[in-house]
Amino acid sequence: MSMPAPDSHPPDVPILRAAGLVKQFTGRRVVDGVDLQCRAGQVLGLLGANGAGKTTTLRLCAGFLQPDAGTIHVAGIDRRADPEAAARRVSVCTQDDTFDSDFTVRGNLEQMSRYFHPRPPAVKERIAALLERFGLDRYADAKPDILSGGYRRRLMLARALIHEPHLLFLDEPTTGLDPQARLEVWELIDALRRDGLALVLTTHYMDEAERLADELLILREGQGVAAGSSRAVLGDLVGEHVLVLDARNPAAETVRTWARQAGLPEPTRVLSTLHLALDGPGLARFSARFGDLRFEVRPPTLDDLFLKLAEKS
Amino acid sequence: MTFPPHYRAAVQWQSRAVLGRHLTVYRRNWHTAVLPPLLEPIILLLAFGVGLGGFIPDFAWRGRPVAYLAYLAPGMLAYTAFMTAFFQALFAAYIRMHYQKTWEGQLITQVRLEHVIWGEVFWAATLGTVYALIVILVLAGFSLAGWLHLHWAGVVLVVPLLFLAALAFATLGLLFTALVPSIDHMNIPFFLVIMPLGFASSTYFPLEGDSPWTQAWLILNPLHHLAEGIRFLLLAGEWNSHLLAACGLFVLMIGVLIPLDERLLRRRVLGEG
Repeated sequence: MSMPAPDSHPPDVPILRAAGLVKQFTGRRVVDGVDLQCRAGQVLGLLGANGAGKTTTLRLCAGFLQPDAGTIHVAGIDRRADPEAAARRVSVCTQDDTFDSDFTVRGNLEQMSRYFHPRPPAVKERIAALLERFGLDRYADAKPDILSGGYRRRLMLARALIHEPHLLFLDEPTTGLDPQARLEVWELIDALRRDGLALVLTTHYMDEAERLADELLILREGQGVAAGSSRAVLGDLVGEHVLVLDARNPAAETVRTWARQAGLPEPTRVLSTLHLALDGPGLARFSARFGDLRFEVRPPTLDDLFLKLAEKS
Repeated sequence: MTFPPHYRAAVQWQSRAVLGRHLTVYRRNWHTAVLPPLLEPIILLLAFGVGLGGFIPDFAWRGRPVAYLAYLAPGMLAYTAFMTAFFQALFAAYIRMHYQKTWEGQLITQVRLEHVIWGEVFWAATLGTVYALIVILVLAGFSLAGWLHLHWAGVVLVVPLLFLAALAFATLGLLFTALVPSIDHMNIPFFLVIMPLGFASSTYFPLEGDSPWTQAWLILNPLHHLAEGIRFLLLAGEWNSHLLAACGLFVLMIGVLIPLDERLLRRRVLGEG
């Protein structure tokens, strides 16, 4: 079963459009002028180290929090002017399990539908379809407490879709799941993208962001520092190549000094290896200077980016 | 006239949806949930009203000789509405907020925090009133048995008054839900609020005294006015100023505590403010 397409929305207009978002807590700017957009059928990955402002940005866009400045439009609706209409088009799959443990799996979907107005049409049929799509039909009359981690996530996703939202926020959707369950959740998310939902994803798993996100927004200290495809973002923030050498090699210190003198970013130490991000000419200069040193060159990954962001914050 | 958003939320559909959620859960478990509120007044009336009352043959209330069982009955009604609403809004709401994450699950929908708060307050007040109605049924049984003589016409006024009281005490309970650092600190509101407010309030024994402290306490304690107001209605069949004082204090509590609860819970639940 595929989900019914959200009601008509011009395809060239982003479902989510946020501009100049600012949020302060106790005088500190946690979100500081963030802009973001997400279109139908697109997954936008929000990445950043702890405290970068990902969760607060998500909570602002999802309507949990009011921004101190900036605008948020959901499917063309100004969130501040008509929060109820905007909330009708949005859903959130929270990191924690926030299903209602006093209800069965089916009861959770029924109860969730009562928190929306107007209530979703043909709700019984929709619940049956969601239970089937997420493989929950055999647990329909059981309490969610008995479900495994993967099936709890499925219930969270099914609950989030009960009112046919245009935009779904996924906050760390696979944290704590085993590899098999993660893969299954990824497939479900991918199917939602194909159905035309706009999805905003925050995650700590770089492989997850790499596989799922069409575009990335990198946050550091509450500000967007890069946006675009993962290749573009990596090129902007990390470099074209990552050079890996043995950190125990006596020459490692010489490499550090060389990098410093060349105005390159400080190499990152990961266990017993030293990682140095370089562009093409930089790699050529390194090879000329350290030709007799054993090293590997690989393309940059989001892990490199994450380490770099974590180091700076 | 437009009401501020804190109060406008009381009549919006989202608050009814939250209340409906609590009713649905309770309806499923009513047969086990109803036993304690049914048995407790029977036991208390037998133990204190009949048992202890048997040792107080010359009990008097405001100069009128009354059986201690009759004195106790209105006090129990007031105490039940107070205790049930306060306990629900404090303990049960805290569990839903902190452990079950029911609130967070509601807040990702069109329901906002002010609706969650009103839903909790209405639910606590509904339960407080229903439990008080159960006490009324038990009192009716005692009346039919010829052990208790009350002016039953007064019940028509007593029930809405108890609902208003329960609403006010629920807003007080939610205040502590917002303030207690953890569930281990729940005994603080119990000892600081429930015990002094509940017992020094003419519910189980007459509280009198000429000292300014006692007088101030009696003027400000809404439970005292509630218990005495109901007592005048059910024992003497008389309208009295305690009813007005109780209503005034309850409206004041709701008016002040709802915005305060919302502000503190916004900080606690959403990290805002």
